[in-house]
Amino acid sequence: MAVFAELRRRNVFKVALLYAIASWLIIWFVGAIESTSDVPVWTETFVLFVLAIGFPVALLFAWTYEITPSGLKKAVEVDQTQSIVYKTGQKLNAAVAVLVVLGVLAVFGQRLLPTFEFILPGIPEGDAPLSEKAPANIRSLTLDNGLKIIVWPDHDIPNVVMYNFVRAGGRNEYPGITGLSHFFEHMMFLGTEKREPGEFLRVLEAAGGDYNAYTSSDVTVFQDWFPRSALEVVFELEGDRFQDLALVPEVVESERQVVFSERRSSIDNDNFWKLAEQVQATAYVAHPYQFTVIGWPSDIESWTQEDLINYYRTYYAPNNRTIVFTGDVTPRVIFSLADEYFAEAPAQDPPPPVRTVEPEQQGERRVVVRAPAQTPLLHIAFHAGSAADASTLPMRLLLNILTGGESSRLHRLLVENAGIAVSVDGYQDEGFDPGLVWLYMTLPPGGDPRVVEQRVLEELARVAADGVTAAELAKARNIMLADFWRGLATIDGKAEALGQYEVFHGDYERLFDLPAAMKAITAADLQRVAAKVFRANNMTVGVLQAPDSEGAQ
Amino acid sequence: MTYLRPAWLALSACLCAGTALGQGVTLPDVHRVELDNGAVFILDEKHDVPLIGVEAIIRGGAVTDPSGKSGMSSLLAGMLKKGAGDRDAATFAEAIGAVGASLEARAGLESITISGEFLARDADLMLELLVDMLRAPTLGYTEMKKLRDRKINFIRAAKDSDLRPLAPAYGNASLFGEHPYGNPVDGNEESLAKISQRELRAYYGEHVGADRLIIAVVGDFDAAAMSDTLSAAFGDWQKAAAPLPEFEAPVPEEGRRVLLVDKPGATQSYFWIGNVGVAVGFPQRAELDIANTLFGGRFTSLLMAELRTKAGLTYGARSVLLRPSRPGSVSINSYTRTETTIEAIDLALALLAQLHETGFDEEAIQSGKNYILGQFPPRLETAAQLAAQFAFLEAHGLDAAFVNDYGAAILAASPEAIQSVIGSVYPEPDNLVFVVLGDAELLRNDIAKYGPVTEIAITEPRFRP
Repeated sequence: MAVFAELRRRNVFKVALLYAIASWLIIWFVGAIESTSDVPVWTETFVLFVLAIGFPVALLFAWTYEITPSGLKKAVEVDQTQSIVYKTGQKLNAAVAVLVVLGVLAVFGQRLLPTFEFILPGIPEGDAPLSEKAPANIRSLTLDNGLKIIVWPDHDIPNVVMYNFVRAGGRNEYPGITGLSHFFEHMMFLGTEKREPGEFLRVLEAAGGDYNAYTSSDVTVFQDWFPRSALEVVFELEGDRFQDLALVPEVVESERQVVFSERRSSIDNDNFWKLAEQVQATAYVAHPYQFTVIGWPSDIESWTQEDLINYYRTYYAPNNRTIVFTGDVTPRVIFSLADEYFAEAPAQDPPPPVRTVEPEQQGERRVVVRAPAQTPLLHIAFHAGSAADASTLPMRLLLNILTGGESSRLHRLLVENAGIAVSVDGYQDEGFDPGLVWLYMTLPPGGDPRVVEQRVLEELARVAADGVTAAELAKARNIMLADFWRGLATIDGKAEALGQYEVFHGDYERLFDLPAAMKAITAADLQRVAAKVFRANNMTVGVLQAPDSEGAQ
Repeated sequence: MTYLRPAWLALSACLCAGTALGQGVTLPDVHRVELDNGAVFILDEKHDVPLIGVEAIIRGGAVTDPSGKSGMSSLLAGMLKKGAGDRDAATFAEAIGAVGASLEARAGLESITISGEFLARDADLMLELLVDMLRAPTLGYTEMKKLRDRKINFIRAAKDSDLRPLAPAYGNASLFGEHPYGNPVDGNEESLAKISQRELRAYYGEHVGADRLIIAVVGDFDAAAMSDTLSAAFGDWQKAAAPLPEFEAPVPEEGRRVLLVDKPGATQSYFWIGNVGVAVGFPQRAELDIANTLFGGRFTSLLMAELRTKAGLTYGARSVLLRPSRPGSVSINSYTRTETTIEAIDLALALLAQLHETGFDEEAIQSGKNYILGQFPPRLETAAQLAAQFAFLEAHGLDAAFVNDYGAAILAASPEAIQSVIGSVYPEPDNLVFVVLGDAELLRNDIAKYGPVTEIAITEPRFRP
């Protein structure tokens, strides 16, 4: 007890309390800085380390020394009757009170005051340079099991978005398991070893979250949108389903029917996709991009339990995925939660590479679909580049000039002037392997697809021969830049864009090269790409017409 | 690599998290300007990014379409960009495209809405275009005829496509009939074909003017300067020649009837089952939103859990509330393969009965509350979203409390109040209008058990017989 009283007399407890509160404030402050500026991620760990070492030193100091009117003296040398430890103690009390008030103000003030938030790298004004650097508060971390996690804090609204990119899609399939990637997207919501089918959904919704997923020829992407308070729930749920998915046979059977229903609505009872599926299957003779993402009906009916288990192990492994978080979070919190919930999933051998390269097309291909239709459809597809190919950005601009909105060339030509199409659209596949550039035309009843095709090909030949005007290029660039910035105005858009660039371009920072890259592209680049892609030998033409229509091709 | 995760981290996370759920969203204070001629401007400066979102509303919309001319307001909305002021259609499109902006007009049941998003540096140009669209649209003959014919063909193309979007058009046309809410917003093939340029111009004079105008602007601008600009642009604008039409609230349907829309060869049936529901001003909105979220408003809702997850009958099922100024429709929407049509509809009806009898337990209600509150903030994240919200509130005579008090109302909703709202809003299974789109030959016999059946072909140029 004597030691205890003496500790107390020498203010050691007060110093300990003061030290603890000051440390908490310092760490909080470091965390706040870390989320909005460019300090290394290890800063906080380092500060914590220094503070921990300092703690015993501070206590020892408090025990050993005493403040006296004539300065610092060893406590044992101070005359007890002259001691002012009581006054020093009062000062310490005051300091504790001040720090507590500061702490409370800081924590709550952060919610009230505008922060130094770095929201966007600034939208270019006038002729200001379009080149931008990636915002410094974006952080990434790769866990030992190969899972890469990217975080972009944005504290505008108290919500968080997660995009989980799985490098698996139609291109990883083969006859017999077409559609499996998409089916797996469904299975991921339908139970784990410890959760019933649907429990994932119930738990996440009860925590205020929402979710969805999509599958393409290249990737399967899982999205969660949730209030910040649900962060740990999301980590627990996602960690669980990506490590211990249960593939219950009865659930698989019921879900086959759901996917059939989706196929019936999205493809079989929709003329546009009915035709697009056939054009895609015709344009490729070798590469698995020929498979429709939803899968052929025979395969939806017949994939086996073993197919599912193998697929999950190989493609859903952490080293085959990338996760992006945006919104009201800090990298520190995300990384520590990832360490807790995502680190245990074991890495697997990388999936087998897609070896097949589509051989060069030797001449035009045609496919006709006969289906009840008031409005005939015409699709024209050309082989072009992959997402990372140098021709992809010029082609994006070119497609905008040809089909982007009411001032575009093909819209004016076919819809406004000739009145031979009701609408015209364009799309470019941007995947791991060379994809297609598509032109989609809807014709008025009785419209002749041959006439429309003729006019489209003439216009494409004109672009290849004469190029585009400077005004057209400037307009396309402005539209795409504005779309780019608008896309980054929401935490959802940020997550999607970061993930796309990380997965398809190898580095999320490339996203921020886009404005500069767009500016560097010339009209000559567009002309060159047009001449390379828009060739008859490189083309697949699809027509959908009613069975009784004239002019069957 | 391991990260230290000390207890204080959890503490600070909790302190902040407490504010996330339960607080809802609070709208910023805005500048509201009302001119003598009735035009209203709502301005909100938001300087975080150099973007501006604008939402202009002309009150009126499809309910003001002349008799037999449904689609008139929709055609007018489309024509606003087809030449205005000194610019022809092509020049107008070029001007918007040149600065990478968006400016889109569309009609709704009770308004025409123009939504724009652009860089702050292009504000002068974009406001000029907006003013021209509203005050000086050309409404030229050639452009009008082209657009009218395209809109007719869009409907035909939609009938060749996935019918999910069309089922509600048939449903509402069938339920409301001759009532103004029975007007398909984008018209039908027959009514559009009857509209002349002269009628379009007359309609513009009668239904577009200062007293119908609301403009909300949110983003990076100076509110005082913006107020001056808009006041100068619209201060001398005349009022619309006609008053906003008065019409009665639609009367809920007694008994049952069925409209069967024949699409030969369809392998899937789409159904819409509904009756008259509530208006936008329905006082117990929070209770109703919770009920609808749990019945058919999210993935784990009763309809989805039973029709999709348990029975595997469909890819999607939902309940939809249409809430205009007078009571709109409340409906169940789903689809299934042709052979399981009756099974799916029977199940949907059983679930509607279950909704009335047992409702939802406390745990489900708490989950529904959390979900609504958790998903609310992203809806008001961008300048354009905020502008749309302000214009919506003004158009319906609602104040900021509609948004600001919503979170508290959601939290306060009691199970008893929710069950009472279910009883008063959702139709009894005996009083329903059914619309089924599919292969009539395979459906017509079995479907008669739901009530007297009327049949039309999908190629019929209208949405009801």
